[in-house]
Amino acid sequence: MLVLLFILFAGMAIGCALAVVAQRNPLYSAISLIGVFISLACLYVMLAAPFIAAVQVIVYAGAIMVLVVFVIMLLNVEEEAHQRPRLKFLLPLAIGLAAVLIAEVAFILVSVQQSPVTAISNGTDVGVTHSIGSALFTRYLLPFEITSILLLMAIVGAMTLARRSALPPNARVVPGAQVLPVTMFRDTGLPTHDDMRAVETDSTDEAARLLGVAELRDQSKRE
Amino acid sequence: MDSQTAIDVALKLVAITVAFTVVLLIVAYTVLAERRILGFIQGRLGPNRVGYGGILQPFADLLKFILKEDIVPDKSTRFVYFLAPVVATMAALMTMIVYPFGPEIPIPFTNIVIPLTVARFDISLLYVLGVTSVGVYGIMLAGWSSNNKYSLMGGLRASAQMISYELALGLSLIGVILLAGTLDLAQIVEMQSGWHGARWFIFFHPLGFIIYMIAAIAETNRVPFDLPEAETELVAGFHTEYSAMKFALFFLAEYINMFTVSMLATTLFLGGWNVPFAEDIFGRGTFLFGLVSVLGFLLKIIFFLFLYIWLRGTLPRFRFDQLMNFGWKVLLPFALLSIFITATLIFLFPNL
Repeated sequence: MLVLLFILFAGMAIGCALAVVAQRNPLYSAISLIGVFISLACLYVMLAAPFIAAVQVIVYAGAIMVLVVFVIMLLNVEEEAHQRPRLKFLLPLAIGLAAVLIAEVAFILVSVQQSPVTAISNGTDVGVTHSIGSALFTRYLLPFEITSILLLMAIVGAMTLARRSALPPNARVVPGAQVLPVTMFRDTGLPTHDDMRAVETDSTDEAARLLGVAELRDQSKRE
Repeated sequence: MDSQTAIDVALKLVAITVAFTVVLLIVAYTVLAERRILGFIQGRLGPNRVGYGGILQPFADLLKFILKEDIVPDKSTRFVYFLAPVVATMAALMTMIVYPFGPEIPIPFTNIVIPLTVARFDISLLYVLGVTSVGVYGIMLAGWSSNNKYSLMGGLRASAQMISYELALGLSLIGVILLAGTLDLAQIVEMQSGWHGARWFIFFHPLGFIIYMIAAIAETNRVPFDLPEAETELVAGFHTEYSAMKFALFFLAEYINMFTVSMLATTLFLGGWNVPFAEDIFGRGTFLFGLVSVLGFLLKIIFFLFLYIWLRGTLPRFRFDQLMNFGWKVLLPFALLSIFITATLIFLFPNL
């Protein structure tokens, strides 16, 4: 019974993983990756680690992949065209790395068969929420805190990247306001990104006047 | 596989079937109740023709959904278009197996004791959160695969909204986990059976309950947070292109999700199947006690479902920026505050 389930979930994981690489449509790859995560979670349950399984589904399938799919949907990525392979020198490198990986797996398989098998008895609390929690906050506290600092850095970095620095503090984006096309600036020698300001107007003419480029706009109209 | 395992598996399958059937029946009648109550709020009758007072309306609706033409848009992504409603419904139904619907019920005149939980394990609360978080894919993929701008906008809105409010929802539950010291739903309910069955966690963690209710309404895309299907802006949102049984599956998933979050609210905050003073009257472990407990559990859920319908009849819809501001700038800090308050309470009164 257990072997059957293992074959089912492991097969699903491998099949989905192959699909991630083989699919041309990025969204299909993302869906396949979700499949990989869910079948891995099933394998964790079989290994008597239900907490890790639940966290795997919540964090990877439920949060990270949602963001990935979200971005793919927003960008509306087309299917990859079949390109001629570039960077040909990578091919022998890839073969070498694959050989190393296969050797590792073979080594693990052999060493697992040599080591004595001890099944977890029903009474142990390995993998139970309580034992994980106490281990995380006592013995492994330092790695745990360092990981949280890493995540904090990521958040701060994302905020720094997303912050619009050039805007004055009272600038607002108003629905329905006109936006001047960047092409109007391109040939004028005016800086196109550092100096961009948001203005609150209803018409392009007024926006041009507020931005101080009204003459330029008149000129481009005449042309 | 020996015979004992086979019997266990068969029993579990029967239990799952029974649970799903009961839940689907209740959900079907929630739809009818919603239409009748909305009618009452809006000063009209609502469906009252099929059967006595409209009692057979859900079955008429089902028949209609099955018989209608199933239209698949020409430019849609076929496989994903088909997958989306399946994912939505499956994720909604899968949570049903962990809820404790009642205490163990002994059948009269026999020695059989029936536990009213299909599966009981250590991390059932995390399981619920995980499965419901997968449910968002149903809506996202539906929006993307329909190849329709309204659908895409609806799907994007839904996923943004559900990710944002999942945070506040998860944080509002931490107070309960702190109080109970476990993630097992059955144990959480048993922890609330003191004080003659009225030691409910809502009394220790009221702010968390309010935040949970608001976030849960947003998670299920109901009024006033139903922006993914705002008909004034998006036609019908992510299910614009869906028809017949596929549309019915989305409809079903929404109502099952309503039922699920109501059950979770009852289990975590309102004492689950604990009915005040039922233990003193009937005695623990008797058949009548079990029956009263199950009825009490259902009554609490029905209260929440009524609340949902009531809100739909009375509240206007949020604007999208209001929704995001509210979720991130109001709900999230208050959820953290509620954790802080509850943790302080537990620290000051350890045998609370």
